Amino acid sequence: MAVQSDTSNVIDALGPYDRAKALSAFKAGDLTFYWITRISAISVLVILGGIIISLIIGAWPAMREYGFAFLWTQRWAPSADPPVLGALGPVYGTLITSFIAMLIAIPVGLGIAVFLTELCPQLLRRPIGIAIELLAGIPSIIYGMWGFFVLGPFLANTFQPFMIRIFDGVPVLDAVFAGPPSYLSLFNAALILAIMVLPFITAISVDVFKTVPPVLKEAAYGMGCTTWEVVRNVVIPYTRVGVIGGVMLALGRALGETMAVTFIIGNSFRISSSIFAPGTTISAAIASEFAESDGLHQSGLILLGLLLFVLTFFVLAGARLMLLRLEKKAGK
Amino acid sequence: MTELSVSTTAAGHVPQVPLPEAPPKVTVRNLNFYYGEHHALKNINLTLGTNRVTAFIGPSGCGKSTLLRIFNRMYDLYPGQRAVGQLMLDQTNILDPRLDLNLLRARVGMVFQKPTPFPMTIYENIAFGIRLYEKISKSEMDDRVEKALRGGALWNEVKDKLNASGLSLSGGQQQRLCIARTVAVRPEVILFDEPCSALDPISTAKVEELIQELSEDYTIAIVTHNMQQAARVSDKTAFMYLGELIEFDDTNKIFTSPSDRRTQDYITGRFG
Repeated sequence: MAVQSDTSNVIDALGPYDRAKALSAFKAGDLTFYWITRISAISVLVILGGIIISLIIGAWPAMREYGFAFLWTQRWAPSADPPVLGALGPVYGTLITSFIAMLIAIPVGLGIAVFLTELCPQLLRRPIGIAIELLAGIPSIIYGMWGFFVLGPFLANTFQPFMIRIFDGVPVLDAVFAGPPSYLSLFNAALILAIMVLPFITAISVDVFKTVPPVLKEAAYGMGCTTWEVVRNVVIPYTRVGVIGGVMLALGRALGETMAVTFIIGNSFRISSSIFAPGTTISAAIASEFAESDGLHQSGLILLGLLLFVLTFFVLAGARLMLLRLEKKAGK
Repeated sequence: MTELSVSTTAAGHVPQVPLPEAPPKVTVRNLNFYYGEHHALKNINLTLGTNRVTAFIGPSGCGKSTLLRIFNRMYDLYPGQRAVGQLMLDQTNILDPRLDLNLLRARVGMVFQKPTPFPMTIYENIAFGIRLYEKISKSEMDDRVEKALRGGALWNEVKDKLNASGLSLSGGQQQRLCIARTVAVRPEVILFDEPCSALDPISTAKVEELIQELSEDYTIAIVTHNMQQAARVSDKTAFMYLGELIEFDDTNKIFTSPSDRRTQDYITGRFG
């Protein structure tokens, strides 16, 4: 409509005017715009497909050689003849470090977000908020060094003996904390990961918590809810999609984080029952061995990369499924 | 609609004949309220009669919602807001800083301008409030939820979809759900902050009916921009202007022969 009134003004001012010509110029502009956006969107699919295809091509020799046994073989002996390669160690390490990291980061991250949005005095809000953002800006290698020089010794010399003493004789748990002290361990890596993903969870949770209408919170307070009850029953259910989105982003980072983990995890392919023992993750294994690998060994590392891809995909799919079920439970 | 016409007679509320003076439930004495430096309420004195409906009218910004939010200390959520004076709920001093706010808010329920169903099922919306104060069995809870929904004149519309989200209801139904939720906690006083301003005329009529029915069991304070609504539902009306209580009297009197010039001007639509 606006276009029509514009052209009629033009006619008044300049006399007869070719309307069809003007419209076709608009059409061409629109068509260009349409194609630019379309090509941008399609390029995502092309890049994703290209990465998957090149991973599969690179991993093909290892896939043919080891088949599905690659998934449950623990031994990793690239210099044996022929090389024996199994993904169980790195896959286990990836899952367990990410799991422990999320176990720590989710409650702490949500706790910080709740404090910042619901409880924090105005004066403290900005300093804490900025500190969280700075945490996200620290390069991962710095985290690695800090884990190596500070956190590792503390865990090995103080924290592990303490845990061993507490859980001495408790079945299962004493095995989880057992073993000789080591600066490099799964637990060390998991803690560093927790600190690294904390800003993601907190920043996103703070943003979505702020979207809760004040009147909804007032309604809950108006019924006599405590702050904890308001957060648990109103704020978190109202924002669950956003919070889970933040958690997934964090989990994606934890699963794929390479540099810091390579530094402090110890790069051992052997699976130990203790979380204080060295281990490895998929990305750490690739990073530490890829440069001097060739042939079947290299193909095996690429296959590990493909596995990480698949693993991440399943985790994200699982998150979507969880969201659907939550929505059903809330009665949508 | 049948439900509506029956309840009109059942409520037995005839505004034309003023009800006898009721014993005071809430007493306000020399109440002042400040938003930081801004003096929002000046020396308010009035009482809310037990099981009576008191309406608060006045132009926007006159402080009527502010006054309502003092009755359940909602202002406490925000720094820099403070009330000075005396405000008694029966024998309880509402302004006592040591007062248990959760308990106060269980006794003084509130329904807001916009419907505020919680992000959960219809059933849970009601059960949630009950669970805050009582541990009861599933079957007792079912009873209480049904009773509350009947109290909110909503039961017949939602009894087959108690597990649907509270957000799936229409605006009017959501507002009645919020009223049912408030009633379920068994408060003594219910505050309505412009409860119909977001509703269509039919929903408004239903909510007004409901308010009249509720006045048999609860003391009610309602803030409204709609003077016809105040005339229809309330026993007493308070007219406020620029943070002051100008006139407080029987609704009939306020709307037929107000004693203050400003009240007269406002209800005849000369300003506001």
